[in-house]
Amino acid sequence: MTGLTEAPLELGPLMAHVADPEHGGLATFLGMVRREQGKREVVAIVYEAYEELALAELAAVCEEAGARFGARVAAVHRTGRVEVGEPSVAAAASAPHRPAAFAACRFVIDELKVRAPIWKLMVYADGASAWLDGREARPVPAAGTRGASAL
Amino acid sequence: MPPEIAVTVRLFASLREAAGTDRLEMSVPRATPVGALWSHLPEEIAGEDPPAGLRYAVNHEWTIPGAPLEDGDEVAFVLPVSGG
Repeated sequence: MTGLTEAPLELGPLMAHVADPEHGGLATFLGMVRREQGKREVVAIVYEAYEELALAELAAVCEEAGARFGARVAAVHRTGRVEVGEPSVAAAASAPHRPAAFAACRFVIDELKVRAPIWKLMVYADGASAWLDGREARPVPAAGTRGASAL
Repeated sequence: MPPEIAVTVRLFASLREAAGTDRLEMSVPRATPVGALWSHLPEEIAGEDPPAGLRYAVNHEWTIPGAPLEDGDEVAFVLPVSGG
């Protein structure tokens, strides 16, 4: 079970998908949108996916994790706007014993972050926003807020 | 054989915003390498160098910059991702 969704993430369906009577360990992970207070305060992140390839990478990562750790694995990533404190990615893995369950869950989330073409538009408390996509940052300050960008 | 081929280009994130569209239809010489397609983009984008770490996908599969394009290919410029 892998996918992209614009709806709030829930671990329940992922856990149900990976649960197996022969598996004694089930690990889950949620990646949350972080405020980054002290730096430039974030209020939300908007996620944009290259859907076809992101889905292919999600499926490939889960298949690799399954083969490598003998685990059942599921992962879903958000698209659209996700507020601070809300989950942007969810993963679950089950295996006969807990080391493999933890390892598979970690493998999935680590690989996903690098391989899935899903970009982040950071939305800041000062009204500006900026894509984290390797191009020169072109923040768009909201009218009446600060002038110079911190990026 | 027509000298030009038609390709579709998918744009995402800041590239999509700069171009004002998520999809461009382009006409380029046959066998143009995917890595050379950048210079054929509209002026708003082609005026700058491709970003470091840019990768390419053709028909939803990763490919190398030297891969020659064929008529009807769908190309995606895959900017670096920061994950999570």
